[in-house]
Amino acid sequence: MKLSTTLAGRHFTFRDVKDVLAKANEEKSGDILAGVAAASDLERVAAKVVLSDLLVRDLRENPVVPYEDDEVTRLNQDGLDAAVYSRIQNWTMAQLREYILSYQSTEEDLKALGRGLTAEVVAGVCKLMSNLDLIYAANKIRVTATCNTTIGRRGCLSTRLQPNHSTDNVEGITASLFEGLSYGCGDALLGLNPVNDTVSSLADVLKRFDEVKNRFEIPTQICVLGHITTQIEAVKRGAPCDMIFQSIAGSQKGNSAFGFSRETVEEALALLRDRGTAKGPDVMYFETGQGSELSSDAHYGADQVTMEARCYAFARPFHPFMVNTVVGFIGPEYLYDSRQVIRAGLEDHFMGKLSGVPMGCDCCYTNHMMADQNDIENLSLLLGSAGVNYILGVPTSDDVMLNYQTNAYHDVGTIREILGLRPIREFEQWLEKMGIMENGRLTDRAGDPTIFTRR
Amino acid sequence: MAERDNIAAIVAEVIAQLQRTGSVALPQGDRPCCGGEGPCGDITAPACRRISLLDHPEDPEALERMRTKTTARIGVGRAGPRLKTQTLLTLRADHAQARDAVFADVDPALPEQLGLFTVQTQCDSKDTYVTRPDLGRRLSEEAVETLRRRCVPNPDVQIYASDGLSSTAIEANLPNILPVLMDGLKGRGLTVGTPFFLRFGRVGAEEQVAEVVGAKVVCVLLGERPGLATAESMSAYIAYNAYVGMPESKRTVVSNIHRDGIAAVEAGAYLTEVICRILEQRASGVDLVK
Amino acid sequence: MEEILSVGIDIGTSTTQVVFSRLRMENTAAFFSVPHVSIVDKELVYRGEIHTTPLKTAVLIDGDAVRDIVAAEFRRAGFTPADTDTGAVIITGESARKENAALVLEKLSGFAGEFVVSTAGPDLESVIAGKGSGAFQYSLDNECVTVNLDIGGGTTNIAVFDSGETVGKGCLDIGGRLVRIGPDRRIESVSPPAARVAQAIGLSLRPGDRAAPSALAALTDKMADLLAQALGAAEREPLLRAVQTPESSWLEPPADIRCICFSGGVADCIRETGGDPFRYGDIGPLLGRSIREGALCRAFPVMEAGETIRATVVGAGTYTTALSGSTIAYDAGLFPMKNLPVLKLTEQEEDACFQGRSEPLARRLRWFLEQTDSGRLALSLQGLRDPSYSQLKTLAQVLSGAMDQALPRGAPAVVALERDMAKALGGAMRALLQGRRPVVCIDGVRMENGDYVDLGRPLMEGLVVPVVVKTLLFG
Repeated sequence: MKLSTTLAGRHFTFRDVKDVLAKANEEKSGDILAGVAAASDLERVAAKVVLSDLLVRDLRENPVVPYEDDEVTRLNQDGLDAAVYSRIQNWTMAQLREYILSYQSTEEDLKALGRGLTAEVVAGVCKLMSNLDLIYAANKIRVTATCNTTIGRRGCLSTRLQPNHSTDNVEGITASLFEGLSYGCGDALLGLNPVNDTVSSLADVLKRFDEVKNRFEIPTQICVLGHITTQIEAVKRGAPCDMIFQSIAGSQKGNSAFGFSRETVEEALALLRDRGTAKGPDVMYFETGQGSELSSDAHYGADQVTMEARCYAFARPFHPFMVNTVVGFIGPEYLYDSRQVIRAGLEDHFMGKLSGVPMGCDCCYTNHMMADQNDIENLSLLLGSAGVNYILGVPTSDDVMLNYQTNAYHDVGTIREILGLRPIREFEQWLEKMGIMENGRLTDRAGDPTIFTRR
Repeated sequence: MAERDNIAAIVAEVIAQLQRTGSVALPQGDRPCCGGEGPCGDITAPACRRISLLDHPEDPEALERMRTKTTARIGVGRAGPRLKTQTLLTLRADHAQARDAVFADVDPALPEQLGLFTVQTQCDSKDTYVTRPDLGRRLSEEAVETLRRRCVPNPDVQIYASDGLSSTAIEANLPNILPVLMDGLKGRGLTVGTPFFLRFGRVGAEEQVAEVVGAKVVCVLLGERPGLATAESMSAYIAYNAYVGMPESKRTVVSNIHRDGIAAVEAGAYLTEVICRILEQRASGVDLVK
Repeated sequence: MEEILSVGIDIGTSTTQVVFSRLRMENTAAFFSVPHVSIVDKELVYRGEIHTTPLKTAVLIDGDAVRDIVAAEFRRAGFTPADTDTGAVIITGESARKENAALVLEKLSGFAGEFVVSTAGPDLESVIAGKGSGAFQYSLDNECVTVNLDIGGGTTNIAVFDSGETVGKGCLDIGGRLVRIGPDRRIESVSPPAARVAQAIGLSLRPGDRAAPSALAALTDKMADLLAQALGAAEREPLLRAVQTPESSWLEPPADIRCICFSGGVADCIRETGGDPFRYGDIGPLLGRSIREGALCRAFPVMEAGETIRATVVGAGTYTTALSGSTIAYDAGLFPMKNLPVLKLTEQEEDACFQGRSEPLARRLRWFLEQTDSGRLALSLQGLRDPSYSQLKTLAQVLSGAMDQALPRGAPAVVALERDMAKALGGAMRALLQGRRPVVCIDGVRMENGDYVDLGRPLMEGLVVPVVVKTLLFG
């Protein structure tokens, strides 16, 4: 294993694989904050050069968090497809990149390949890709999953409808929900971020979602994104629920800072199979985001892209229906500006897909970040062309509860039109039945939430 | 010189032209904003926001009711699949206000007017502040020296204000919350430290402040990351016996202090009680019994 | 979470009922926010029997017999008067006379616990019944207009709710016991409103006459038609004015009614079909049939009531208590405070206070205290949404100065605001009064001149006080 190189006449040596991975990363303020970033652009490229010559085996054998200390590493290493791995273990990372991009590898090949890659390998190849590489490679892969409907088919772009409210008022939530449905949003999920993480509050909203879903016969999924333990309790007490949500991290320590472990997810899965309202089989929902491990001091000196890839490795065995990165939520100390956010969004989407999880993206930003709505519109169009499973939708882009901005209800229809994409088929038929959509386009009736109040 | 005069003349002409055409093309009362209801001075004004831009809803009354149930921007209508112009511009205006709240400095006249002196953390700019939370938690050497010199040592309670992520929040709330809080605490017979203003401060700076002045209870009034709805939200972070390295769980937090949340004066009265309870129980955060 | 036990007692024209409810309170504020306590759940824990209201004469209640009924219900429910935290005795319909109210207050004082109050008036009854029946909640949940018709023995109380707001109320002298029939199937009595309706349709009804179902059905058909007129489902005729209950509001026909709801004893007769029309010794079943087959039910969908005959008592027991705001100021040992007369300042008077002019307030206080002659009052203000420190100081100075001068020595200064600023104002007033008199300053309540207010013992670790605002007080 060679950890040094000469580039432009200068000699660069790296401490270990973790160091190479960190310094090969595109510039991120979070890596600088963590003190793991390359000191110069040239050092960054030198690290990429060293990385490109490392073998798949080198990365697999040097996980950034030790196997003994961490269940994410164990889950990842133990779950690897040995046959696939043995075939590629001696490939260089450069070879791996070129195989992924080549005409020779089909979608099925890449999906099989993913089962033989650890998170470090996925992160490593990502660091060797340009933005257009990430879009092109991700577009070759579609990861579908089935809850009540099937998400992720080629030609589809779905939305999670996020009707958040500043006090969890059920009528107010319903008002936003109707607005979103009238714009053709919600085929991935009707999903609320609650203010109050209490069983009764979650149950109240779930009941309303269930009523609306049943009354209007909407082919979709429902979920209220409280803490996983609160959701489990709500389901135990009889709340209707299609899916259980949790924010996840790339290390066991990070997950325990989130207040759960692998057993908690297993409990949630078993409970939903027994008492959930969805057909399934895919009933988990995970959210991730670069930098969350550093914020809970659970990054083990690794860079935030590698830790992010480990989230997908953790998610994969639980067969989630949806996984999304909340890419710009964490703040400028992790992703400084729109350039870093857009790069991170493309990286996360690619890595998620290569890892075999059905990937969406919350293309978002906070008001203390060097980004605005234009940047987020750029990212969502880029991801649309990369074949992302879903983006978010909130009223006009302004989330009144999380105090950040993401895609507006208006955006998904626009992107669908531009890229020739459609909602999930059953949902589209429902939209047609409601008179909201015709031939993949919004009708005159669309955008009026009161079409749902007269029934 | 001649060139400058030329430019001035061109600008004057353009302005005049704008004024002329503005009054011809868009007479008062015919402007397309406010859903055509009337002239609109300011698209960010509450009266303007109250008007739905959706053309011909099937049930206008239901729409009005729905809009009273949430602060989310619904019933906004569309241009093709996109936002209407007024909606787009209002969003941009709100974002601009939020950005200004983060990146503008608190007007130096304000602390002065309230009798506060100003010190700084180890951040040297807003840019450092947003990217280096660690530096925003540490006082500059000069700040430490100033606090030692100017603050009453070992008070029961040390109150101070800090810009955090919203200077606007400080400007909107500090003049009203601070005197209520000071009156209230003094009224209870407590010794209250010398209040001051900390520039570029994160919450965690209060641990060092408590150590430097030797306060039993420290309370920082801090500007919160603005949303589009308000840039004026302030929080109070209070800790008993704070020390550098203290766990987060030892902090008591009261958030959402602004005109549409809890009004500043009322929050000041509430905080007085919370601080008294913290002193009685000698505990804050999760250890504080409600 | 905390629970309080509320008793509701309804002494109506024909029936007397008692129910007990538990009101569950919770701090519903987000974790890091200032507390916000609200009533999150109301559970009916005991439904008493339907007793015939014991009468001494045609109009005078038998107070001792009423007391015995209530005592027996407390025993059966397993509660003692000391268990109840709040509630209401409501004397309704034709029983709502001054003599009866005084008598009931006296006889029930032992059961009143700390906090039970007496309140009445046809408009308020309408609203209380509409809340007890479930019509209010339906309108709130479905954001629509619902109308509740509580049809009892003597009156029909009508309340119109739009998305959880009371937008109309009224009361008509139409009820199931306006004509009473003896076991010998002869007419025992005809109340004046029934006689007016009979006369209008040319029907002769005299006590002692044989009760003819067809003739009486003509009477109840007209009554049902009058109800339809009241809601705009039939053309209005002058007779409608003649059956308007004295002291009730005139109801304009409401627009956009999504559905109607029937409560009261006659509601059950609307649902039942067949049977002896005189089985209750009155015209209730006939009236029920007339309504079922009349214009009203053709014009509007009918929603299922949660409570029918018990709607008023359930409403009284569960909906009359509200909670103050959760940041308030008060001195200990003052509660409960009962029957405080309300002095509500006009906008101009309030403006004067904020501008530091205390004379208008002082003048109004002197006048009010002379009028009421009790030396007690609750001063009601709107307050400001986001007052500045100087506005707060000024208001505190004016209020504490004027109230300190006007009120008798030692009497508490009680201030009730609509806007959330009571803790700050109370604190500032306390500092100015320096212990000369206690201060109670609450917010989150709206009152009007002529109201009376009860403030109960503080709940939820002292965060809130229960508030009952009464529009009319007997005794």
